Amino acid sequence: MTDNIIQIHGVSKLFGKGDREVVALRDVDLQFREGEFAVLIGPSGCGKSTMLYLIAGFESPSSGQILLNGKEIRRPGPDRGFVFQDYALFPWKSVLGNVMFGLRRNGVPHREAKATAMRFIQMVHLQGFEHAFPHTLSGGMKQRVGIARALAYDPKVLLMDEPFGALDAQTRKLMQQEMVSIWEEAKKTVVFVTHSVIEAVYLGDRIVVMTARPGSVKGMVNVDVPRPRKYTEEHYLHIREEVLALLEEEVAKSVKNLVEKDRRRDPDVTPA
Amino acid sequence: MITRRTVAERLPDRWRTGLVSVIQFLLPFLVIGLAWELAVRSGLITSSSLPAPSTILAKVWALSVREGVLWRHLTRSLYRLSVGYALAMGSGLLFGTLLAMNRILREMFSPILSLLISVPTIAWVPVFLITMGLGDRTVIAAVFLGGFFAITYNTIRGIEMVDVSRIRAARTMGARGLHLFASVLLPGSSVSVITGLRLGIGYSWRALVGGEMLSAMVQWGIGKMIYQARFWNDVTVMFVGLITIGVTGFLLDRLLIRWLERVTIERWGMVAER
Amino acid sequence: MKVRRWILPILLVASFLGLWELAAHFHWINPSLFAPPSSIVRDLLRLHVRKLPDRSILLTHIGASLQRVFVAASIGTVAGVLMGVLMGTSRLVHRFFDPIITLLMPIPGIAQAPLFIVWLGFGDPTIITVGAIAAFFPIAFNTAAGVRSIDPQLVRAARLMGTSSTACLPRVYLPSAAGHVMAGVKLGWARCWRTVIAVEFVAAASWGLGYMIWDASEYIRSGVVYGGILLLMLVYLAMERLLLESVERLTVRRWGMIRS
Repeated sequence: MTDNIIQIHGVSKLFGKGDREVVALRDVDLQFREGEFAVLIGPSGCGKSTMLYLIAGFESPSSGQILLNGKEIRRPGPDRGFVFQDYALFPWKSVLGNVMFGLRRNGVPHREAKATAMRFIQMVHLQGFEHAFPHTLSGGMKQRVGIARALAYDPKVLLMDEPFGALDAQTRKLMQQEMVSIWEEAKKTVVFVTHSVIEAVYLGDRIVVMTARPGSVKGMVNVDVPRPRKYTEEHYLHIREEVLALLEEEVAKSVKNLVEKDRRRDPDVTPA
Repeated sequence: MITRRTVAERLPDRWRTGLVSVIQFLLPFLVIGLAWELAVRSGLITSSSLPAPSTILAKVWALSVREGVLWRHLTRSLYRLSVGYALAMGSGLLFGTLLAMNRILREMFSPILSLLISVPTIAWVPVFLITMGLGDRTVIAAVFLGGFFAITYNTIRGIEMVDVSRIRAARTMGARGLHLFASVLLPGSSVSVITGLRLGIGYSWRALVGGEMLSAMVQWGIGKMIYQARFWNDVTVMFVGLITIGVTGFLLDRLLIRWLERVTIERWGMVAER
Repeated sequence: MKVRRWILPILLVASFLGLWELAAHFHWINPSLFAPPSSIVRDLLRLHVRKLPDRSILLTHIGASLQRVFVAASIGTVAGVLMGVLMGTSRLVHRFFDPIITLLMPIPGIAQAPLFIVWLGFGDPTIITVGAIAAFFPIAFNTAAGVRSIDPQLVRAARLMGTSSTACLPRVYLPSAAGHVMAGVKLGWARCWRTVIAVEFVAAASWGLGYMIWDASEYIRSGVVYGGILLLMLVYLAMERLLLESVERLTVRRWGMIRS
């Protein structure tokens, strides 16, 4: 039986003060199993990215706690890898330099770090580009570097914040397929945030649907379709519908929230 | 039939475009120089108040090649510039970094910096003259002050503007404190820092000339050369001095700073501000 | 006014001034070289109170400088805008003058002063001329940039509606380039101010804030020197607040071209 590698107990997160206070997350209870590919999905503003930031340690919860292998998370660290939507590559380092960064930072000697980095560069199919500088690469290639960089120093968990959101539709599809093969090779626990249901059902073992703000867990859907999955497969489509049903309710609520906010600001405007 | 190619066509492309742009750059000066020369020769302008370019060039030759005096002035000036600017660079980068990282320091010093910047650098020279004497030290102090503010201000801006995702990426990989600074904040702020260095060297160079003119015990230096020329009403030497100031300032920017840009931000594809 | 923001810097300045006063009092530093704040205030007041024959010396100095700046910067602005428009509209003019401006702009005014002293003598003519030149360059440069950045669609629209070529100048070009022009004017006036003070060090005959400071330094009257620097700060800030911000508010902000 696989353990729960991440445990989230009663976590709430507030931003701002007084009448500008925003409750991003309220009383979230969640567990992630080791080795699973979990997807967080929800309407805009539901706090899924905030949740990921809390796990990463970029922010601290206002209440509750998050445990990684039993230990409370207080700050960012190399036991978690993070892949950003805007890639966040270091433009002053080559691809190799970027991927080696985490390894070198944690004391791995140069030659070993280089060899390990090359392995991961090959895993994401960028061999030949190790000496290129990020500004010469396409979006998809940059993100592959981002993934290699996050995996290279062997974190326990890989956190991905809408990593393919900035890519065009074609590249996005390719990257989803790549992601599956990378994950199968790397065998990491992944927490993946997206707002694309198609992407979620294609990639995930388990999809956690979040409510509109203030965010909490609305429901979970298990995806037991064997990989590699096909976007047109019946079982895949069935699960997609299931997730969409959960989601639509929340999306409608979040739209209502926005309209309410507008109306409070300008009472003369009536929604269409 | 083999046609002979001209010299120009045989040069590699990059040299050719470089040559073209140099010629384009010099053309206006040549045109004006020619018109000016004709005006003086034909008696339109009296040569005592406005010497012809030929006279000026002859003087340049005399001062630089025959007497070597121009180089002595120039090297002395450049020496003072290097010392003062190096100090400005070191302390500006350090101070700017400290202020960027520490909110309390920043709140404390920012308004004061803004106030101090409003004072023309040259106005501090009398203070230096009184407190540091009339020689080299005053000039170097003026050079320092000229560059310090620009470098500090742009360093602060640069570090503040470092992409927050990149900082997070480094932190999640375990980078903290000094290592975070050296590996992410410093390179990440290069665009602004280089702008600061560029502005700084311009201000420092200008402060140098002014400082030399005002310091009585200073004997050598381009600024001093111009100042002394007044006692003999030697307008030609003044022109030589002004041209030297302009050309040197130009070269400092184009050679030094542009080289720095090329090996850093241009190589990394980081966009330079205009 | 955000009071909390000013507490720390005020504390810093106050303790610095207090320390200075003490150090001079106990002769840890030489009070004639490092006149303490009390002496500075005293010397400045003396200059103000000692009337000659019926006006304050201090204010006369300040007034002389401000007058020169105003005249020089105005000349520089007019010339600069004209040149900038010429450069902005004609590629040939731009290609011709751009290298000249690039080379001449960085030459400090104080270095040009001896030349103009030979031609124009000491005093106002030299100071104002060099000041005007200092203002001219950044204004011309920025105006040219502004004109070149004008959206050709706007020009076409105006022409279509019947504006003649020359009328386009004040009605279309100038307003849309206004943002850049304002930036250039701000720079130009600031440069003019700095240059006027600097040139006063070497070229002023008897009046001017720069002259006052320089004269005081020659007689090692450090109180006046430090006081002069303080006044430079205050006068500059006042100038910036009053003049430039009101001009900006009347024109560019009203047209919605800069975020207010």
